[in-house]
Amino acid sequence: MANYVDIALFIYTLETKHLIEPLQENSFGVKITSVAFDVLMEDPENELEGIEHLVVSGSLNVIKEILNFAMKYGFSVGIIPMNTQKDLIKCFALPRNKNEVIDLALRNSSQVMDIILCNQHIMLFQATLGRLPLMDSPSDISKFNIVVKALKRFVGLELALFDFTIANQKKIRTAACGCMIIQRHEGTLASKLISHDSSFTDGMISMLVSAPRSIVEYFIFLSQAIRARADRKKDYSTIGYIKSPWIDIESEKKLTVYVDGDNVTHTPLHCKAIKEAVRVNIGEGLREKSGKSQPVIERVNIDSLPRGKELLRVKTKKIPFFSYASEERFRDLFAALRIDARINATYLMLMLLSTLLATVGLYLDSSSVIIGAMLLAPLMAPIVSLAMGMLRQDEDLSKSSIKKIIIGIAIALMTAALITLIYPYESITSEMAGRLHPSLLDLSVAIISGVAAAYTKSYKEIIQSLAGVAIAVALVPPLAVAGIGIGRWDSHFFSEAFLLFGTNLIGIILAAAFTFRVLGYSPAIKGKRSIAFVLIFFVLISIPLSLSFKRIVEDRLHEKSWQEERFLVNEKYLIVKKAQVQDFRDKKLVTMDILTREPLNRNDLTQFKKKVQTHFARRLIININVIYIP
Amino acid sequence: MKKLIRFTIFIGAIVLFCGCDQPPVIESSGKNIKIGVIGPFSGSNMAKGNSGLEGIKTAMAMHPLLRNGDGVELVVEDDKNEPELTLYALKKLIEKDGVAGIIILSDSGPVLKIGPLADIHRMPVLAALATHPDTTNQRDFVSQLCFDDNFQGTVAALFVMDELIIEKVAIFSNPENAYSSFLAARFANKFKSIGGEITESIVLRNDTTDYSSILSSIHRKKTELLYLPLGAEEVLQIAKALEEMDWKPEMLGSDGLLTTMLTQYKEYSGLLEGMLSTDFFNRRMPLTSFGKKALKKYRSLYDNPPNSYSVMGGEGYALMFNAIDRCKDPNDRECINRMIRNTVDFTGITGKITIKPNGKATRPLVVNVIKEGKLEFVVKVY
Repeated sequence: MANYVDIALFIYTLETKHLIEPLQENSFGVKITSVAFDVLMEDPENELEGIEHLVVSGSLNVIKEILNFAMKYGFSVGIIPMNTQKDLIKCFALPRNKNEVIDLALRNSSQVMDIILCNQHIMLFQATLGRLPLMDSPSDISKFNIVVKALKRFVGLELALFDFTIANQKKIRTAACGCMIIQRHEGTLASKLISHDSSFTDGMISMLVSAPRSIVEYFIFLSQAIRARADRKKDYSTIGYIKSPWIDIESEKKLTVYVDGDNVTHTPLHCKAIKEAVRVNIGEGLREKSGKSQPVIERVNIDSLPRGKELLRVKTKKIPFFSYASEERFRDLFAALRIDARINATYLMLMLLSTLLATVGLYLDSSSVIIGAMLLAPLMAPIVSLAMGMLRQDEDLSKSSIKKIIIGIAIALMTAALITLIYPYESITSEMAGRLHPSLLDLSVAIISGVAAAYTKSYKEIIQSLAGVAIAVALVPPLAVAGIGIGRWDSHFFSEAFLLFGTNLIGIILAAAFTFRVLGYSPAIKGKRSIAFVLIFFVLISIPLSLSFKRIVEDRLHEKSWQEERFLVNEKYLIVKKAQVQDFRDKKLVTMDILTREPLNRNDLTQFKKKVQTHFARRLIININVIYIP
Repeated sequence: MKKLIRFTIFIGAIVLFCGCDQPPVIESSGKNIKIGVIGPFSGSNMAKGNSGLEGIKTAMAMHPLLRNGDGVELVVEDDKNEPELTLYALKKLIEKDGVAGIIILSDSGPVLKIGPLADIHRMPVLAALATHPDTTNQRDFVSQLCFDDNFQGTVAALFVMDELIIEKVAIFSNPENAYSSFLAARFANKFKSIGGEITESIVLRNDTTDYSSILSSIHRKKTELLYLPLGAEEVLQIAKALEEMDWKPEMLGSDGLLTTMLTQYKEYSGLLEGMLSTDFFNRRMPLTSFGKKALKKYRSLYDNPPNSYSVMGGEGYALMFNAIDRCKDPNDRECINRMIRNTVDFTGITGKITIKPNGKATRPLVVNVIKEGKLEFVVKVY
């Protein structure tokens, strides 16, 4: 059965004067004396002397003032919130119904609580300083609103140097966008990100430190925050967490501190928890949680915050778009790329063998042999090295990579040309033909492969995936076809296949450079001239590829529309059943399956050809297979 | 670096400049050349005339001025598709209006009627929709823009035999309509010559009403397809009778039939579901670059979609305009007629058109079908 206080003092303001009557007419037999807050402040000592329980309703500042008195005089406090004080209701788990909240406020069952003072200002929920992406948002905010808020806040995000000193005298120097000190963190997005071992009487302050190193990291944090669940904690790459009885915060620049949303002080900031400072009537839900408190220890989790040499990098005006790669990764990758850019006997031998294999596979029209050649081909490595060399304007790396690529190309062209001279039969297999019409689709393959190559190269754990990239982009087979073109002294053969190789080369260099930049291996594109040069080549190469792509699309549409074409030739009805359009030098070769009932003579075929050339392109080579309808 | 960027911009600008192929600007001379248009703009065939005129006006909006700066003025005469009225309209256009050439949107009957007079007055007449071969036979000044019925009948017979693989066909014709009887005869000759069987040849009169007994007789002979080179109203009567009998044979009509059906008798389109027809145009078929521009222009001018008649009207104007434009004197009718009959590989809306010196046109034919109340494209025959 509920137990109520005998006497209580009710402190009200103009906005809450209407509560006097319901309080005084309470059905719990509690004798209420009502005093306006202004009157109380005129002589608080006199008014509060001997008071054991006080009920307050007013603004947050009024409540904080009362809590200040409660610390001094030791009375318990019941709070009747105004409808607008949603944070307060959430923080103390107060009921929303007027009768219920009066019931709670008059009970003789207060909970002992700590009070946190930030530069002597009472903090009930949270104090923030600097730019704090999202953490101060309510936890029940919709995902859409999180995204909208996040997009607004990422502009102008910057890291500043902070010095934290905590109770064990440990000093922490880091860089962050902002910090958030939390007392009762239920109800904020921040509560999803930290551990729940706090209690009302642990004498501790919790602080979150936000330090996204890049815009990309900020968005990663955003996605984690959206998906975060309060019951499943994990370490977030951009968040640090400190828990201590007191924390001193100093910042490089003087920062405004917002305590419970009000601009009341600035850095340097001293926050301390006054253990078991007040007694407050809190909601049943919160009481259950507070009862389950465990022994609390000081916590410092700052592994994800910038430290040491990293602090030198963050002294830029704004955080960069991409993060920096860790020093260890950077060192490993560069060592590997320098090795990749060096010419050695293995490279020469593998280049020779893969070209031999590719050329034979092309003549045999064997996909599996050609795939074998792709896997054997070592050409991808120097191209990726060249991309990094260009990105970081590393002349040594670029030069050695270019040299290695040129030697590789020369070996491939010469080997394939020699085999062609030896091989007497000048066939065009489908594997060769497939490499004679590069289009924008091939450029897309090269770009995706370039991204994949740089990505797999950057992470040793997934290096085995590089084989797949090699198959996808297939560098040596186009070179082998170009070499066959040289051997046959066929400029069309050579130029088309070499265009495909060039497409792969340019696509991979650009995509790999971009990927390395995204992965943080270069703070900026240092080799702007080299990259611009590749970019111009990219644009130039895109022109014939676009035209080729347009031609391919037209051909496919044409092939489809051919199936709806019929011809009346000398009173004979010809049905186009199937058509295949191919480029043959500067002409189009159309191969059609024609259905007809009557035998076709030379005159019929001539008439047919004339009709086709009148209504379609004149430069058509027509090849027909006649199928007779029984 | 800056030099490189400037050089790239310079080259790009040159490429763009060279790529802009602006047509020469023609200034108006203030004079107008008259082109006569005869067609059924009222009565039961008004869809042909009105749609055809929309096509003509669309093409005129695309080509308003001749190279010498003369404009074009249309003189429109309604003949209700009645030969006597067509003759009267022709006389008026020759004697009173002094037109340089005439585009006629009427059927074969009215065009056959005016042939001799056009020759006497040496007035170039371009028949946009009349497919009867005799419209140009023995005529020096009447030319056809459409394919003729020799081609249409032959293609229809071969399509039935080779594409539909149907061997038993009943043919309907109306002897009071020259076009209908010729096409029926041509189809029958060709179909029989390639091994097909004509189960019955039905000759309809204007007063025929008992379609059910006719169709029952055909049904008993296991007929697979009805060839219907008839007017829209007659085909509708047959379709209604078929529905009453609950018999669904294949049906093949001739040029313009389905367009008229979907324009004037849309509420009955359900009865004609699956009906095939030889025709001039379908919106789904591949169009030439001129065709694409014309379609765009048409849509900007009219709310209704273009049909076979509007396409033939548009092509008729474009071809007449082209012929006039090639003559030194745009009023020289002899020259205009000569130019019409010397049209080789003229790019129309659906493909290339050639008009031979005998006035007959070579142009592709399409086969359409009514599917879910819409006209769908089946094949195109060259």
